[in-house]
Amino acid sequence: MVFILGVNFPERNLLKKSLETFFGVGGHTSSRLLARFNIHPTCRVGELANKQVLDLTAVLSDMKIENDLRREVLNDIKRLKETGTYRGRRHALGLPVRGQRTRTQVGCFSFAVSYILRLDILDTMLGVFGCFVDMVLMVS
Amino acid sequence: MASSWCWSCLSRLRAPSTPRAILPPQSITPRLTTASFHSSAVQYANPTKKKGALVAVKYRQGQTLRRKKKKTTERSRPPAVGERKALRKRIVLSNPNALEVEGMQDLSAETMIDARLRGSVLGLPVPMLDQLRAVQAFKPKQGWSIFRRPGTVLRRDTLEMARLFEKISGEGDAAEKGKVVKKIITGLKGSGKTVHLLQAMAMGFLKKWVVVTVPDARELVSGDTSYSPIEGTNPLQYVQPNAVSALLMRTVEANRQVLSSLNVSQKHTGLPSLKPSSTLEDLAKLGFQDAAIAWPVFQALWTELTATAAAPGMEKDFKARPPMLVTVDGIAHWMKESAYRASDFTPVHAHDLVFVKHFLSLLQNGQASLKNGGMVLYATSTSNNPSIYTLEVALDQLAARQAGTSPSSPDYPSPEAYSGADARVLDLFKPTTGKEPQFELQTLGGLTRDETRGYLEYFARSGLLREEVNETWVGEKWSLSGGGIIGELEKLGRHVRTTAQTTPVLN
Repeated sequence: MVFILGVNFPERNLLKKSLETFFGVGGHTSSRLLARFNIHPTCRVGELANKQVLDLTAVLSDMKIENDLRREVLNDIKRLKETGTYRGRRHALGLPVRGQRTRTQVGCFSFAVSYILRLDILDTMLGVFGCFVDMVLMVS
Repeated sequence: MASSWCWSCLSRLRAPSTPRAILPPQSITPRLTTASFHSSAVQYANPTKKKGALVAVKYRQGQTLRRKKKKTTERSRPPAVGERKALRKRIVLSNPNALEVEGMQDLSAETMIDARLRGSVLGLPVPMLDQLRAVQAFKPKQGWSIFRRPGTVLRRDTLEMARLFEKISGEGDAAEKGKVVKKIITGLKGSGKTVHLLQAMAMGFLKKWVVVTVPDARELVSGDTSYSPIEGTNPLQYVQPNAVSALLMRTVEANRQVLSSLNVSQKHTGLPSLKPSSTLEDLAKLGFQDAAIAWPVFQALWTELTATAAAPGMEKDFKARPPMLVTVDGIAHWMKESAYRASDFTPVHAHDLVFVKHFLSLLQNGQASLKNGGMVLYATSTSNNPSIYTLEVALDQLAARQAGTSPSSPDYPSPEAYSGADARVLDLFKPTTGKEPQFELQTLGGLTRDETRGYLEYFARSGLLREEVNETWVGEKWSLSGGGIIGELEKLGRHVRTTAQTTPVLN
């Protein structure tokens, strides 16, 4: 098992696929990351040298990925809601935002809504955790 | 308890639980029995169904015929890592069901130049098979598995090549000794380019040359092995340590006898772990034990093999180095951008991979590099071939030069305007300058009719072909195979079965 940005990956997994498991890292970013450190595209996680693992982790930790990115998406939606834009209202109503028809087949939107709900829940959790950390810091 | 009398018609309901003893027997007292529906007479009533025949229909169940779905079969464990690839790459060289061909001769230093044997199939010597396997001379989809033992046809091109081996080894004509012959082998699909390389390797082993091969050029550019940049090179070049290591392993395994008899004769400052008295085998072994130093080891090995004299102070145990055979199969893959990327995500050209560049540079400076002589054979492939316009033009130019067309003549082929021809590829195929001999284009065609006959007779003698091999039949098959294209002949040879015997009709 190799530890990259706090996640353990089995050695026989493809490195490119493993990087793409991070929220915010897709095919485009992962192939550029590999090229940046001269890692061949079919490299397995186990073939990495220690230095390469550290380099990758360093770069990944500088990037806006995972919870930071999720929070940014949420903040963007929140901003739309607060400024009272059409898009914000549609988000608030849980309806299609980008001009799709709603006479029929709005069910397709439920996935996106549930995704944003999930983000909301996550945000709450993050907020609670943040408060907890603040409290601990204050107490100490 | 409910009454046993019907309240609407006052008839007695059937109640088996009623105590019979207090009632008169039914046969004596004519009694009105009730049917299931009271308004019809008893004799018209539907016969009551047997209890067992009642099939309970569940709520909302369909009445149509339904077949049970097939049970999903349990999935077994997937094969172990590498097992499928091993199966795919498996090479079978013997078929115990095929007949042994009597009187079949082995390829040897004498038979390979014997023009009388032209058209016959010569067996590859059994002790050499391991060496040929080590350099991956056999490919999985060739028809080795249908015969008793592997063998190849001695065709015109083979004989010519064998004579070249003789000359370069310096046994026949001393004037040609130490020369380097460079050839690019092309030909139609199935014309025997890879087997031609195999024959070259076999002859190399027979003549105790050092054989260095790249069995699949694609593997070096497909992005499947690790790569790292070499600092301080401009344009930036890349080394592939694992590929070099694999090549060293192949070379040592195939040429163990030759390499173990030669000692290190030069100073290699980059390899501190190398002892001065060690053999070249030990030197090469350093490379595949540690892939990180594989490239310096390869360079050191190359320097040793091409050395003509020992370095001062190391003359002891110096032996003359043998000539070298370098073969590459599927060279077209090296004429385009590779699957590797530079750190700014621009594609790396295959010529920027230092390992590829090393082999390609032999076309331009083969004589200067291989000082002890040898042969450089690079074959194109048609089964796994990227379409590269510039290479086509470059090979046309080469053919035109060979035919005597001057590069300044208007007939000399040149890439079309705006075709985006690769200047590096064209540059590679430009005529050599100075003392360096020109490289040649060798186009493999079909077998002649006589060679075809010898080849098909070999099928018949192996028990695969049950037909009379005569002039007419051979001529037919020769035409069917596109003028003796050996791959097509093999298909015909292995698919033709005995014709149906006409049984005499008795009247």
